[in-house]
Amino acid sequence: MARAPRSRLQARQRAGFWFVLPALVVYLVFFGLPFAATIWLSFTEWSGVGVPHFTGPANYIRLSQDQAMWAALGNNMIWVVIGTVTPIFIGIILAVMLWSNARGSMVYRTIYFLPVVLSPVVIGIIWSWIYNPLFGLLNTGLRTIGLGSWAVGWLGESETALYAVLVTAIWSYLGFCIVVLFAGLQKVDPELVAAARVDGANSQQRFRHVIVPQIRPVLTMVIVYTVIGGFNVFDVVWVMTQGGPNNATEVIATYTYEVAFRANNYGYGATLSMVMSVVALLAAWATMRMRRAEGGR
Amino acid sequence: MAVRPLSSRAAVWGRHAVLVFFAVLSFYPILVMWFTALRPMNESMRDPFGLPSSLYLENLTTAWTRGRFGNYFLNSVIITAPSVIGVVVLSALAGYGIARFRFRGRMLIFYLILLGLTVPFQSVMIPLYYQLLAMGLLSTYLAVILPSIAFGLPFGVFLMQSFFEDLPQELHEAGRADGCGELRIFWSIMLPLAKPALSTLIVFQFMRTWNEFLMPLLYLQREELRPIPLGLMFFQGAYTRDIGLIAAGVTLATIPVIVVYLIFQRQFVRGLTAGAVK
Repeated sequence: MARAPRSRLQARQRAGFWFVLPALVVYLVFFGLPFAATIWLSFTEWSGVGVPHFTGPANYIRLSQDQAMWAALGNNMIWVVIGTVTPIFIGIILAVMLWSNARGSMVYRTIYFLPVVLSPVVIGIIWSWIYNPLFGLLNTGLRTIGLGSWAVGWLGESETALYAVLVTAIWSYLGFCIVVLFAGLQKVDPELVAAARVDGANSQQRFRHVIVPQIRPVLTMVIVYTVIGGFNVFDVVWVMTQGGPNNATEVIATYTYEVAFRANNYGYGATLSMVMSVVALLAAWATMRMRRAEGGR
Repeated sequence: MAVRPLSSRAAVWGRHAVLVFFAVLSFYPILVMWFTALRPMNESMRDPFGLPSSLYLENLTTAWTRGRFGNYFLNSVIITAPSVIGVVVLSALAGYGIARFRFRGRMLIFYLILLGLTVPFQSVMIPLYYQLLAMGLLSTYLAVILPSIAFGLPFGVFLMQSFFEDLPQELHEAGRADGCGELRIFWSIMLPLAKPALSTLIVFQFMRTWNEFLMPLLYLQREELRPIPLGLMFFQGAYTRDIGLIAAGVTLATIPVIVVYLIFQRQFVRGLTAGAVK
């Protein structure tokens, strides 16, 4: 007697599988399959025609000795550090300002968020023109205020190119950081801040010891975004410099693209792309640990 | 309101000065492109900061005809619409199935899909190229639509799963008591409740596909299939010296997105920050 309803219950639970199946098929065919193929290709040598030639760990050994790869990864590191610290520093200051005097806050946030909706191609083209050595806004502006000697070919010189592109990228997601941090501040208890003020904490102490601990979960998420974004960046670099001049702006994604699609070295290209996956996985893992350590969700 | 002491008023002004400075920094680079599009090129080169002196539309009309922006725009719509619909439908179904049913392999499938959140497109782009070629899809709209859906699913399933999981169990029971089939319960009871999550997902997937660059660069190698970002990049490559024309292209590419953003602002902010704020 009791068996019939239970098996009906199980049949009902199994219906869930049919809800998941369509997504699972599309996901496996257009993501799972090529990802598995990438892992396999990363152990082969292949020029795109014929059968890939299995070479075992050769590509990974080559990877460890590839100066160009390490230089590109070094640029990613610079990107991750500066591209995280700068927008979070500016973002927190602006978010707290918006939070503590609400008037016009919505208008400001609307404007700050504008670059976030633009395509990296558009952003790259706009800033390439700002940096134009002859009649770009930046150099024209510098000449107008008498700093003509500072005017250089921002994207054309190895010393400045990486930072010029990085500034562009920070411009494009600063608004994202501000808006997310602002949302995090909505959960801060103003009474705690007021209480700290009564206790004689100055604004810097109130910020460090009252506000920051309360927005830490959101802060962690923003850092994850900028870190993963910094390791994966491709579009804006490709549009502005394609990794040049003299590889000054080469990052792991542009290098992978060149090795695979310009040098037709698909096996080693796959190995390089695995570096990106491993780094992203490590970053995700580190985040989960950090969140757990915080006792957050 | 009580009169504030002078120092505090100065602080308020100082704060507004900083806020305004960053507002100008965010918007001026875009605005100056629109201005440049409305001025003859030699004028812009002499004084890039100047305002348009008259209504000069030649850059825009030339860019529209020679750059085929109408065509690019249409391509972007043809690619984005099915990819948004696909992600929303598949994610809602899958998220619901994982959240509300207890079948075997459920968590394995869920984690398998979540793995896609951390893998960049670069890690599939090479074999996917040959796969699309073998399937006869290369250089068709589907070559971007289907992978875009696959890459949108991890976030979509995650979002919908966490939404459906928070719904009370009684809703389901009530539907079953009324004799509704599972699909009917999903469609008539659950889905209408999911509107906020769905709008978040729509915006997220729309922006992602609309601005997608590397995928069409690799898989759409026929000019007439190019979406806006790709079209704009080739357009810029062809007219490197003509800043008026490039600015016109940028204007044609930015105005529609910005208009849509200003109309659906709340949904945009929610959609694009959904992963970070929760």
